[in-house]
Amino acid sequence: MSPSLLLTTVVRRSAALFALPWLLFAGPMAQQAALAQYPEKPITLITPFAAGGSSDLTARVFTSFISKYLGRPMLIKLVPGQAGQKGTLEATKAAPDGYTLVFIDNYRDQLHQYTFRNDYYDTNEDLVTVVRINYGQIAIIVRTDGPYETWAQLEADARARPGQIRMSHSGLWAALFVPARRIMQNLDLRFRMVPYRGGGPAKAALMAGDVDFSMAFPATVAVDVEAGKVRILATAGPERTVEGVPSFVEIGLSPNTGYIHRIVMAPSGVPEDRLMRLRRAFAALQSDEAYLAAMRRLGENTEYMDGVDYEAVRIEQSREYGELVRAIAGQ
Amino acid sequence: MIESLLAGVDLALRIDTFIWISGGLLLGMLMGALPGFTTTMGMSVLVPISFLVGDPLIGIPFLIGVYKGGIYGGSVPAILISMPGTGASIATVFDGPALTRKGRSRKALEMSLFASAIADFFSDVLTLVMIVPVAAIVLGFGPPEIAAVMFLSLVIIAVTATGPVIKGLIMLGLGVWVGFVGADPFSALARYTFGTSELYDGFHLIPILIGLFALPEIFKAVKEGDGPGARAASFVGERLRFDELKRSFPTIVRSTAIGSGIGVVPGLGQPIAAMMGYIAAKNSSKHPETFGKGELDGIAAAEAANNAVNGPTMVPLLTLGIPGDAVTALLLGAFMMQGLRPGPTLLESSGDVVFGILIAMVLANGLFVVIGYLTIPLFARVVTIKKSLLIPITIMLAFAGTYLARGNPFDIVTLIGFGLIGIAAREAKFDVAPMVMGFILGRELEYTFGQTLALAGDDWIRFALTERLGMTTVVLATPVIGLMLGRRMTRFRKRALARDREQSA
Repeated sequence: MSPSLLLTTVVRRSAALFALPWLLFAGPMAQQAALAQYPEKPITLITPFAAGGSSDLTARVFTSFISKYLGRPMLIKLVPGQAGQKGTLEATKAAPDGYTLVFIDNYRDQLHQYTFRNDYYDTNEDLVTVVRINYGQIAIIVRTDGPYETWAQLEADARARPGQIRMSHSGLWAALFVPARRIMQNLDLRFRMVPYRGGGPAKAALMAGDVDFSMAFPATVAVDVEAGKVRILATAGPERTVEGVPSFVEIGLSPNTGYIHRIVMAPSGVPEDRLMRLRRAFAALQSDEAYLAAMRRLGENTEYMDGVDYEAVRIEQSREYGELVRAIAGQ
Repeated sequence: MIESLLAGVDLALRIDTFIWISGGLLLGMLMGALPGFTTTMGMSVLVPISFLVGDPLIGIPFLIGVYKGGIYGGSVPAILISMPGTGASIATVFDGPALTRKGRSRKALEMSLFASAIADFFSDVLTLVMIVPVAAIVLGFGPPEIAAVMFLSLVIIAVTATGPVIKGLIMLGLGVWVGFVGADPFSALARYTFGTSELYDGFHLIPILIGLFALPEIFKAVKEGDGPGARAASFVGERLRFDELKRSFPTIVRSTAIGSGIGVVPGLGQPIAAMMGYIAAKNSSKHPETFGKGELDGIAAAEAANNAVNGPTMVPLLTLGIPGDAVTALLLGAFMMQGLRPGPTLLESSGDVVFGILIAMVLANGLFVVIGYLTIPLFARVVTIKKSLLIPITIMLAFAGTYLARGNPFDIVTLIGFGLIGIAAREAKFDVAPMVMGFILGRELEYTFGQTLALAGDDWIRFALTERLGMTTVVLATPVIGLMLGRRMTRFRKRALARDREQSA
């Protein structure tokens, strides 16, 4: 092989090597079909979370199965940053043609408008719900070798020693922090809130005895409960979900406290027929055994809600979160 | 326990498991070698493949292969074009590019491969043997202890930086300050953002790494600009000799120990392991002055330490269900998709499968060497490309890699900015490594220190003396360790200076 020929081969080969991972992303993008029925090209789903979190995993599961019902793949685009505002902003700026969607939760959708400065978009004006994928109900947890056997004991201790009882949470205005603030607000308690980077480390802090209690979605502590290391003291919602354990309503909280709703949104102005097409696809997904099994294994429920119904939930949330934040700020 | 271990051996010895691991390793190496394409992103893209493969002994070893391959792959651009694609390769840029300039890139790549694979092997065996007893220790490391270790690391990096101590301190301080730009992690209030939304999240590591290390190198190559047809090196150099590997063996063992220790604690990570492994090797070397000027032992130290982190991160994941970083969080998802729920009951309920996976992980290291060895000739030839071609390709990789890392156009501005800082620092003979480490450690130290304050409340003296003796001990020992290391380093510097004078006289 002559040197110049070798060189060309090497350059070409290395170029192919470097291009390979890019092609994984870009390859399907290249398909451009002539005018046909929506969707005629892959749909981009923006997820404003860091790679590896539970929301990222949930998105990876449903996008793997939804293509069957859309006829085109749904590709995830991670746009983390600014507590989720960055990715959401990108979705609101995208053309409302149904080819750009965003996957967020109710806190990012309705709460953060009160807690983080945001001059760039108005979530209620700029986003419309395609579907609620599922929800999670938070639970209050303690170690079994700790001093608390019931919520009543913990509450009494917190009242006796205000600001002394430590609670680990997964970050400011996130899934563990918000219900804790609502408990403090409604029951007039004060906890010492210790931040951790995500639910995993927050749970680890409880197990290590660094904090007195924490919160978690029951699926993420199911193993620890079985192993007899963690005890659940109360669960979100009006009804009991764990035998012998009071619900949040029983301990004096509102029925909406401690819910996380995972939702797929589209930029407002997306044509009605395309929105309906997406909603139909997600409705059909709910009877896909493989999808249901995959979500079950992740410990996620599949309590789907159609986008039309969820729009009513958003209005209610907006009011409640506004009151909560004003009450906290007023203190 | 022994029974499930034996059952695990039985499960792991399957041809399809090994084929999938090989695929994972190769993909990981290619992704790792692509600047900006981090191991986390690679695994995130590939994790659905493991969902769809319904067998835990295929899907999970595949992802572990991607993980191992990715951390090693990052050393390839670090050595060849001074471009650390991820934080894990930060200490590899000290000696890698210097070796490449000497025409010894092949040796450097092979040293990186063997050091990585050997360290991976030993740390995996350690994981397999120690998984049960070590699990108890993991929980002893909370934010206060991590903050103390971060503080100690900062001091060690400050006193061991090359060149005058004051220059090292300036760069370190600058790095820490750069790390403070963005939202305050506790109140979400913006700091040093000048009202822009771009700076709200702070700077990203990848553009800083590429800007500080790769752009000055490109600038230098352009400035030199030799005649037409010039190459970075005319040949890929000799293979690594066995006696060279043998000489670095003590370094590899030391780095493996350091990396494994760091891996067990969730939240410390590869960059710190690589840096500490490198400093320890330099400190115990008979000729520390050769470090940073193309020392094979330096490559071994850095690459063994960062790969040794991989195996032990599985300990807190499998025994406690606690992922230490984004990669293990993805693995947690992959385990759950296979119907395995990591946590205290995992070893009892599915001990055979877990041991099968761990054994496959140990055996994968053999494949690691073979696959890595086959790809080296391809990678190594990069240096024989004409400079007039290589430089544009490198520039393209620097910018594309930066953009790829999180798809943020502002990162390109960051890249150029830090490139200029890197060029200026090189002209003024400032070492940029303390700046990067200050950036990485500063914000972590701030966060863990803030958590410690939140935990301690008002009565922090009682907290430090009764609840957190480990933290207190490390903090008190830090000045002593710093002083001792600093003195040793000053002696080295004087000796190196004297030798230089002798040579020039």
